[in-house]
Amino acid sequence: MNLLVWTLAVPLATAAIGALNGPRKFKEAVMIGGLAITFVLCIATTRQFLGGAIPAAFGEALRVDGLSALVVVLSGFVGLLSGTYAVGYLRRNEARNLVTPRMRREIHGLLPAYVFATLLVSMTNNLGIMWIAVELTTLASVFLITFHDRDTSLEAAWKFLVLGSLGLGFALLGIVLLFAAGEEHLGEGLSALNWTRFMQVAPSLHPFTLRLGVVFALIGYGTKAGLAPMHTWKPDAYREAPSPAGVLMAVGMLNGALYCVLRIHLISNAALGPAFSGDLLLTLGLLSVFIATPFILVQWNLKRLLAYSSIEHVGIMAVGIGLGGEAGAFGALLHMTYHSLAKPVAFFSAGTLAQLHSSSNFDRIGTGTVSRAPIASGLLVLATLMITGSPPFGLFFSEMVILKAGFGSQHVTATTLFLAALIVLFCGFVFQIGRLVLGPPRDPKDRRVPKAEQFDLSMATVIVAAILASISAFYLPASLLALIHAATQVVWGTA
Amino acid sequence: MAISDLLILCAAGMLVTAYLMVGQKALVTAVRLYGFQSLLLGIVAATIAISQPRRELFVTAAITVALKAVLIPWFLTRLIDRIGIRREIEPFLNVPTSLLVCLGLTVVGYRVSTGFQEGALGVAHHLIGVALSMLLIGLFLMVTRKKAITQILALLTVENAVFLVAVGITPGMPLVVELGIAFDVILAVLVLGILVHRIVDRFESMDVSRLSKLKG
Repeated sequence: MNLLVWTLAVPLATAAIGALNGPRKFKEAVMIGGLAITFVLCIATTRQFLGGAIPAAFGEALRVDGLSALVVVLSGFVGLLSGTYAVGYLRRNEARNLVTPRMRREIHGLLPAYVFATLLVSMTNNLGIMWIAVELTTLASVFLITFHDRDTSLEAAWKFLVLGSLGLGFALLGIVLLFAAGEEHLGEGLSALNWTRFMQVAPSLHPFTLRLGVVFALIGYGTKAGLAPMHTWKPDAYREAPSPAGVLMAVGMLNGALYCVLRIHLISNAALGPAFSGDLLLTLGLLSVFIATPFILVQWNLKRLLAYSSIEHVGIMAVGIGLGGEAGAFGALLHMTYHSLAKPVAFFSAGTLAQLHSSSNFDRIGTGTVSRAPIASGLLVLATLMITGSPPFGLFFSEMVILKAGFGSQHVTATTLFLAALIVLFCGFVFQIGRLVLGPPRDPKDRRVPKAEQFDLSMATVIVAAILASISAFYLPASLLALIHAATQVVWGTA
Repeated sequence: MAISDLLILCAAGMLVTAYLMVGQKALVTAVRLYGFQSLLLGIVAATIAISQPRRELFVTAAITVALKAVLIPWFLTRLIDRIGIRREIEPFLNVPTSLLVCLGLTVVGYRVSTGFQEGALGVAHHLIGVALSMLLIGLFLMVTRKKAITQILALLTVENAVFLVAVGITPGMPLVVELGIAFDVILAVLVLGILVHRIVDRFESMDVSRLSKLKG
């Protein structure tokens, strides 16, 4: 059987087994094992691509080019991290008798299903199947958001589902309009919706229909990516979802949705020139960065803080793509890679603190966490430095590449504002985390004693993730760098 | 009656159901209106299938009628019976104002539709005009209504609008994709239904304007 089919079948099978009741040890082994095999298969797929082939299956319904390969390997990586952390997460909660069989089924079934859907998004060449896969990630996330079954989680899930479905309705209309713009040129059957087919016939697409389609599709997928002003579901959903699921949303879904945005952008580039969708993405990206700024400064909840940081980062990537040129594209994809490495560390260390204090609100956690949970606090500080783009970490370099591209383009004013917002964001984020971690320790008479930090599977996962992310600042494996360059070629070479 | 007249009549009927939904407070009636709207969509698809002739559109028509005119309305009616909340409360905008706003939205929808190329039957302009108007009315319903069921119906109206564009001006979406989308829609309605249940259990109301704790 084809390698791509295996890569999709393994997480799907893992999800199917995980959704059943079974002995705990067996389910844990299945999830970690399944996701590990998935990651290995993702690497094998990218190896095959780097070896010069374009892996494909089902008559090019599945097709992996440079851009797909990059997103695939990142999804596989984050999936494995998230699965391993989730096992430890459930064990921790089990020690406090907080785990019901429903929760176990949901985590073990939905996390691998989510990984399957994000892999399908990035592997398929067909815009219709891509849409279906994005919708699947949405439906899978709903039950992960309502995981804790609180009033607020129902609210978050409802907002997420309504806004997400609306966004996907827009994206579907966009795809229908793109298809209509092709008139008779696209041919018939499943392959008529292939992205490669669109790129072939791009010059003969009907311009008005195409424009309208591109706008709808970008807004639709932009909603899923969390670009402002369609970002409002994100803080709620991130706060309510358990940390392992939050990571999948913050990295897997973000990369997947941005990947869809890129594909649409490339069709628009080929047919209408880079200015049309590029300017739209630049505007949405800048807006996201500006909107995130005040909310980070006044934030009252640790996970919502991470959500606004994620809105900022997707904004930065959109700015990179919107600025265009080889440097902009390279910067955005480098940013995506480093963000995928750094975000899990931030999420998992924040999640550990939240779990120890049974809440992610700043006032419930209390200041001075370093004295109560030194390892998690240390990792959170490290993650903060990474995701705020401090040197020497990777996001600093990718932001520099994007800024350089910006100052070299005609958008100098926009880039200056962008730089100013980044500086304020940096200060705000460091201030919030600094106060949380290093502030005066809690009143010893406070009766809500948090659980003591323990070295367990979750903690080991965070430490491994932190080590990998730190190493990546100084050394990116040659094959990963080659992959980023190949992805840049897809974005830039076809522009 | 010419084929194109029939198409325009059905499309106009769909727009009328959207307007009636805006003016309607009884939830069961709104659900029935949605079912009728989907039936008209099915007739549009079947008519194009006969006149063009495009066989695969018969499948679209069949799916549309079975799923959206029968199954989803049945599910939503049962949901309303179970939770026992039958009427929409006073919306954020009263009905006459809402209808006037929708009139404006229709003008916008029709204005945009003039930019499209005419399809084979020369009715694409009308179909797209209706579809874009319905899309905007769906969005309007979404932001002004408070009941969870009405919000689901608004989403479904948007979805019907998208399908009207799909059958009206494209040469037919690939069947696999269409089946996948249909499957996703039914799944989404089920998930929404489950959420409504949980919200009603928890808040003893399905007034989504009460879901307002999360801010900042």
